[in-house]
Amino acid sequence: MKAFYFKPELCDLCRKCEEACSNACKKYRSLPSSKALPHVRAFFSTKGPILRFCKQCEEPPCVDACIGESLQMGPGDFVIQDESRCIGCFMCNMVCPNAAMVPSYIHKKAFKCTKQCDFSDSAPPCVKSCDRGALTFEDVIDTTKKIRRKRMAEIPRK
Amino acid sequence: MSGEKKSFVIVGNCIAGVSAADTLRQYNQRDDVIVIGDEDVPAYSRCLITYYLAGDVEEAHLLSHSPDWYRHRNIKMLLNTKAQRVDPQKKEITVEANRRTKKIAYDQLLIATGASPIFFNAFPYDPEGIIGMRTYGDAKKLKSWAKKGKKALIIGAGFVGLKTAYGLSKRGVKTQVVELLPTVLGRMTDLEASNRIVNRLTSASKGSIEIKLNSSVVGVTKVGAKYRAAMSDGAEAEVDFIVASVGVRANTDLVQGTAIYGKGPIQVDERQKTAAQDVYAAGDVAQSQHIVSKGWIYNAIWPVAAAQGRVAAHNMLGMEKIFAGNLPMNSVDFFHLWITAIGDVQARDSIQCLKYETPAVYQKLLLKDNIPVGFMAIGNVDGAGVIRSMIEQKIPWDEAKKQPYAQLLPIVTQVQEKG
Repeated sequence: MKAFYFKPELCDLCRKCEEACSNACKKYRSLPSSKALPHVRAFFSTKGPILRFCKQCEEPPCVDACIGESLQMGPGDFVIQDESRCIGCFMCNMVCPNAAMVPSYIHKKAFKCTKQCDFSDSAPPCVKSCDRGALTFEDVIDTTKKIRRKRMAEIPRK
Repeated sequence: MSGEKKSFVIVGNCIAGVSAADTLRQYNQRDDVIVIGDEDVPAYSRCLITYYLAGDVEEAHLLSHSPDWYRHRNIKMLLNTKAQRVDPQKKEITVEANRRTKKIAYDQLLIATGASPIFFNAFPYDPEGIIGMRTYGDAKKLKSWAKKGKKALIIGAGFVGLKTAYGLSKRGVKTQVVELLPTVLGRMTDLEASNRIVNRLTSASKGSIEIKLNSSVVGVTKVGAKYRAAMSDGAEAEVDFIVASVGVRANTDLVQGTAIYGKGPIQVDERQKTAAQDVYAAGDVAQSQHIVSKGWIYNAIWPVAAAQGRVAAHNMLGMEKIFAGNLPMNSVDFFHLWITAIGDVQARDSIQCLKYETPAVYQKLLLKDNIPVGFMAIGNVDGAGVIRSMIEQKIPWDEAKKQPYAQLLPIVTQVQEKG
């Protein structure tokens, strides 16, 4: 299993990942293309650059919380989404410890990366677009899922 | 005995039941899995029935689990079947279908019978005009009653009551909601939040929803085809039908008189085990431990039911799995005004309260001994899960607010704490 990793110290907030994600995903979303939302979202805070993305929890709380059965566990331990079933209650946003669900008030839907952009032989577009190596797609080496989940939600201590 | 097939019986065909059945099949393809449901349809998204009433989702969307879903997983489904008794000594249950009773033996039993709407003597259940909003059948009935120009009364301004009012108003029904408390959504709001929601509901529905707080229904009389309701403040309302949404009661009839039944909803431990051997309970029929206070909590919400069903299934298979604990929470929108509430959101003594207020957004965070215990957001709910995680992990606020994802929330970035 592979997962996304982010190193904030390498990020310069160029937002190329957002653009690449949005462009790649446009084709798979049934929404008007001008409104395609990126699923990786960079934002600047007083604590430095921050990137929102799905950390692929082992037992994803978003799947349990989804009252419309829109979010489901897909192949490769990745939560996939049938956006036509999303009714915009934002229960998923209420339980995601990593703010990976992006609520869209205009669409009345929450969005997440579903890895629909095909990258079977290489890295996903968002990772390819990152020339500073801040966003990577690597094998998960953690031995237990629990530790992984905990680490994902952990507070970085400086 | 290793050659003999075991029998996993699940009473209840909603999310706790199907998530358990699904999990059982993930790990065990050999033994029998039987799901018993008292409705005439396979599992559906119960929380969506108000959206279905409003016309926001189609019937096909509501019916999430087709008979094929069960067939592909070799799960035996019995519909229109009511479980009447559990005998934990003989390890069998008595069920009734088509007015015939029969006994079904189990090796491992999961009780996921859910809950039913509460009715009082002042407004007793009447299939012709006083019903709850809980099942697909209820939604279909309301949909057929909800003709333009009709009038409805909703008793109780909880999540179901208000969402039903929203659905009815979209069908052109003039709806009055009566609530005993001074706020809507009970313990999940405060006065400010309640006012914002009431304003949105009344203005966006162009007055077709009217909300009356601090009032209750003291009696209902049938006048011809209509119902006349008398309120505690002396007012009267004449309506075509009434929806009772004052709360739900766990469906524990089948375990009364057995060791499984203690008091109120079935008490379960962190493995979803009841007091009887090989009997588990999950979802709205069960009460379990509050993740923060450690006291008993009855938290009848979908995410909990789904997770508990999965946890119960693991333990029924002999696999170690624990449900970390319960936390009240809910998230919903009314005419594009979103509200998410988590934990304890009503201020009390010794609770520190942070607020962020603008005309469009209201966020409130409650701290007890510097640890987050409750959070509520209206208008902008983005990142609410970050706070939920802090509440569950009991992270001191000084540390928690430095967490990267916390920087998304105005309550963190925009509020200067005093002192």
